[in-house]
Amino acid sequence: MDDVDEVFKALADPTRRRLLDELFARDGQTLTELEEGLPMTRFGVMKHLRILEEAGLITTRRAGRKKLHFLNAVPIRLIHDRWVSKYAEPWAAGLSGLKRHLESEEDEDE
Amino acid sequence: MSDPYAVVDGTAMAVFETYIKTTPERLWEAITDPEMRAKYSFGVEVRSDWTPGSSYESSVPGVVDIAAGENVEVDPPSRLVQTFTALWSDDVKAVGESRVTWEIEPVGSSCRLTVTHDHLPAGAHGEVYGGWPMILAGLKTLLETGENLDTPGSLMYADATGWER
Repeated sequence: MDDVDEVFKALADPTRRRLLDELFARDGQTLTELEEGLPMTRFGVMKHLRILEEAGLITTRRAGRKKLHFLNAVPIRLIHDRWVSKYAEPWAAGLSGLKRHLESEEDEDE
Repeated sequence: MSDPYAVVDGTAMAVFETYIKTTPERLWEAITDPEMRAKYSFGVEVRSDWTPGSSYESSVPGVVDIAAGENVEVDPPSRLVQTFTALWSDDVKAVGESRVTWEIEPVGSSCRLTVTHDHLPAGAHGEVYGGWPMILAGLKTLLETGENLDTPGSLMYADATGWER
């Protein structure tokens, strides 16, 4: 199943990225908890959650009468491995080396 | 990372899922074979005889201990329940014993792999379960392409094990 397209589409919406951030901050929230912070109808939030679930970015579990939503970062990691690390990390490694170098010089001045 | 876990009945849990185009048998082998496991787990092997009640350990002898525990349920190729104690730093050791459940379910020509990490104390250090997305993404890449991950960090202990990249 090659669902990278679905993941990119799911991430291409500010409300859905915000829902992922909400779950990153506190995983396992119910629909009622997730809709509290959003200026949107319950139906609208449900629609976004369904798109995120179809893309594999969230999973759900029943706990008693509650339905809990969990962030699933595996598809994001796959995008990182395939698309981000190749382009970004040689730079990031160089910059973090520069940062360490500059900060260690600062320490010596103190 | 803040507290990316859910508190259910007083203990924390996290759930990770991926679809992998492979058979349940091959996926089970990739989870339990020391050499295959090392290829997507930072270069670290996991050793056990995989019988119910047996112990397992994941380490690079003399270099680093990663985790240890008991195989509570062993039902190849569909279900493995393990106790899990992280050992790679004092911070994660302080979390103590939790539980990891691997579930493999065939879906068409693929398998759905679900890893549930629960029985964690509320406020558990995020590193204890934060590595799963990297591990499961690496497992999927290995089984579907035969290629190993070479992104930074993914093989940090490979040189110490002498394992060939």
